[in-house]
Amino acid sequence: MLLSLIAYISILLFVGISVYKAYKFATMPMHGRMELYPVPKEKGFEHGGSFYEEVSWWSKPHEVSHMREIVEMLKEILFIKKLFENQRPLWWISYALHLGIYMLMAWTMLLVVGVVSELNGITVAATDTGIWGLLVYYVTVATGIVGLALGTLGAGALFLRRVFDNTLKKYTTPQEYVNLLVLFAALFTGILTWGSDLSFHTAREVTANLITFTPFAASGLVTLHVILVGIMLIYIPISKMSHYVGKYFTFHKVLWDNDPNLKGSAIEHQVKKASTFRPSTSWSASHIKPPDAPTL
Amino acid sequence: MINQKDLLPKDMGRKDEQLIKLELDQLIPLLAPYDKPGMESPLTDPKPAWKEKYCTSLDGYVGIDTLTRPKSKEEEDEFVRKFLSGLEKIFSDANNGVLQPLLLTYEYCAKCDTCSSACHIYEATGGNELYRPIYRSEVLRKIAKKYFTTSGKLLGGFVGADIDVNWETIARLGELSYRCNLCRRCAQTCPLGLDNAILSKEIRKIFSQEMGISPVPLHTKGTMNQLRTGSSTGLTKPAFLDTIEFLEEDTEEKFGIKLKFPIDKKGADILLLHNAGEFIAWPENPVAFALLFNAAGLNWTLSSEVLGYDSVNYGLWYDDPQAKKIALGQMKVAHDLRVNRIVMGECGHAHKAAAMVADRMSYGEGKIPVESCFPILWEMVKNKSIKFDPSKNNFPVTLHDPCNVVRQLGIVLPQRNVLKALAPQFREMSHPGVENYCCGGGSGFAIMNNANFPEFRTQVASRVKFNQILGAFKDTISDASIPKYICAPCSNCKGAMRGILEHYDATEKFNLQYSGLVELMVNAMVDIKIPFFEFLEEKK
Ligand code: SF4
Ligand code: SF4
Repeated sequence: MLLSLIAYISILLFVGISVYKAYKFATMPMHGRMELYPVPKEKGFEHGGSFYEEVSWWSKPHEVSHMREIVEMLKEILFIKKLFENQRPLWWISYALHLGIYMLMAWTMLLVVGVVSELNGITVAATDTGIWGLLVYYVTVATGIVGLALGTLGAGALFLRRVFDNTLKKYTTPQEYVNLLVLFAALFTGILTWGSDLSFHTAREVTANLITFTPFAASGLVTLHVILVGIMLIYIPISKMSHYVGKYFTFHKVLWDNDPNLKGSAIEHQVKKASTFRPSTSWSASHIKPPDAPTL
Repeated sequence: MINQKDLLPKDMGRKDEQLIKLELDQLIPLLAPYDKPGMESPLTDPKPAWKEKYCTSLDGYVGIDTLTRPKSKEEEDEFVRKFLSGLEKIFSDANNGVLQPLLLTYEYCAKCDTCSSACHIYEATGGNELYRPIYRSEVLRKIAKKYFTTSGKLLGGFVGADIDVNWETIARLGELSYRCNLCRRCAQTCPLGLDNAILSKEIRKIFSQEMGISPVPLHTKGTMNQLRTGSSTGLTKPAFLDTIEFLEEDTEEKFGIKLKFPIDKKGADILLLHNAGEFIAWPENPVAFALLFNAAGLNWTLSSEVLGYDSVNYGLWYDDPQAKKIALGQMKVAHDLRVNRIVMGECGHAHKAAAMVADRMSYGEGKIPVESCFPILWEMVKNKSIKFDPSKNNFPVTLHDPCNVVRQLGIVLPQRNVLKALAPQFREMSHPGVENYCCGGGSGFAIMNNANFPEFRTQVASRVKFNQILGAFKDTISDASIPKYICAPCSNCKGAMRGILEHYDATEKFNLQYSGLVELMVNAMVDIKIPFFEFLEEKK
């Protein structure tokens, strides 16, 4: 029961805190333009160009491709493209961790799908004769094994790299080592807990008990693992490992936001609204006469 | 002094007289023909008088000439107190205009160190720890954490709040904010989309907006001068009009062309804004613009109103309210003249200031659209509205991309198209376009000539650029009979180029020349019968 509670609460908090952080960033005041080229939605993306390459650009339609923006975003999310291009050695281990996490997210969902399927009378096993049962079984096995292995390897390697790399070491605070250890501990106990049954029947059983609030005799290891995963899920969004939230804003709302303030545009509307704001604090240098309107 | 390899962010609080010292043999080697020993002067030590007066305790260089040593313990404490009060304010609503981007960069750095290799200053110093982009950021984070976060107060070093904060720490951090060109090249590589230049600029802002400390060339002789006299050069309206008259006469005398600069022409289509430094240091640039705009039949004007004849906006580099005052003042001039559009001449930061930074400062009728000169110039060539003879430009030409024009505004092709059409020996440097390196003059460096700062600029900040130039001309560099032309279509970049070429005596020794894009265009004009460049004349 207690473990079920931990599972539910930690997932809820993970989602809740992440959404709250996103909400905080989303409702921050409008900032001045700070785009940085290449901007994917621009027609001239290939060479880093923008609408400013046109004479009297404001009198022409601003041709943008949101598709290209989504494609670039997916390249970042799925492959961590910038790291791949700019620091390959680190990419290997960072990508191992991230891919591992993606796999484990899929694995967790598949475990739930498996449980629901079984509740509906479909056997999820290698011996099953139905396509669905077989599919769920094998994909669960694949994502679980790959996810646990890559995730643990990645978290461990990132930790060790930070410990032994002379440069990274200088900039890493004790808390940042802890961040990685939290991930590593949750993932490593995952290997210890589920590693003995790679068909993941046990995992599915435990999942079934957890999601249906069925009391079961959990081993010490299962208890430890569930608690550690719970801590990890709550800790990620409150720490800066919540960069999945930040990254959306840095790209979409800062580096790729070049919408010009044209007459009648939504931006103009926002600018109008922002211009009425009077800050409660002001700068003290003598050349600044308070109260100064915020500088966009 | 400590070995830079062991330098930690928290060392900024150390008592040392000087944290590190750069030596020539630590810098990356210059390319041929500057690869031989003795081709470059050694890096100097700060003079004792400077040590006494300024903050030389970072790396020996003095960037901020108004940052003077305290005379008493009270002054010292007051300095620290003011900095902390400013630091708190950058996270408050007084700083709404950058709050979101600032917090993102402040909070999310993963210390992955991907950005370092993108920085030309870090690269030039052979990877000196002090100039690593995240070094500066991390110092700022540590101080902010120590004073303004609960975790920092409770957990201290565990969350990174392990720095001693005294006069030296803060003064060094102020200086360090002027070891970054705000070029944002590092931000292009960050996997999280973070931007260390934001933090450099916020430090500069705290110093200026809260403590009233900023380099004289940027503030007193820069924005303040501009707001008072009309130009950061001190050029007043009567002096400006005199200059124009002189240029008209001079052009007629030299080229036999009757040139008329339209001034304060109400209802003109275009208000052309130049960096006023051009009128003083490189008058051939506004002359070339006028020749081209007239020849193309454009309906344009210059303004002689205060803020109307100088496009610069140094506020961009250190002080938001100053930037806003200037940008809105320039906009008002355009509005009063009832022009349809403002066209920015060859000045990169002015481009960025007017087109991008000021874009969300005003709205409605008073807001006049801003555009770059480069597409207009390319159109003149493309439409054949002017007759050109490219063979007149038959010497090696390379293009320096001003950061503010390419990386920050996305104007990449028009200027290259002009060069491809009008300069038969045009060749790109390495890293062309949006991946360009800063000239080393960015964010005010080009005009900061106090004490030993020019040494830092030319031998460190401009080093990678100089190598790019040498690389682009490697086929002809040693033949001094062939002029090699660096097209640097930006006043500040030209300032940096002048610094490099003078320091290395490169014009004298290897015939390296620099100027803008319009000068090359005019040199190729069929109607201009004699060469527009002195270096071509001399050859004759
Ligand atoms: S903005 Fe430019 S100069 Fe500053 S740290 Fe980044 S790359 Fe270096
Ligand atoms: S690349 Fe970005 S996340 Fe990595 S160290 Fe630099 S600023 Fe931080």
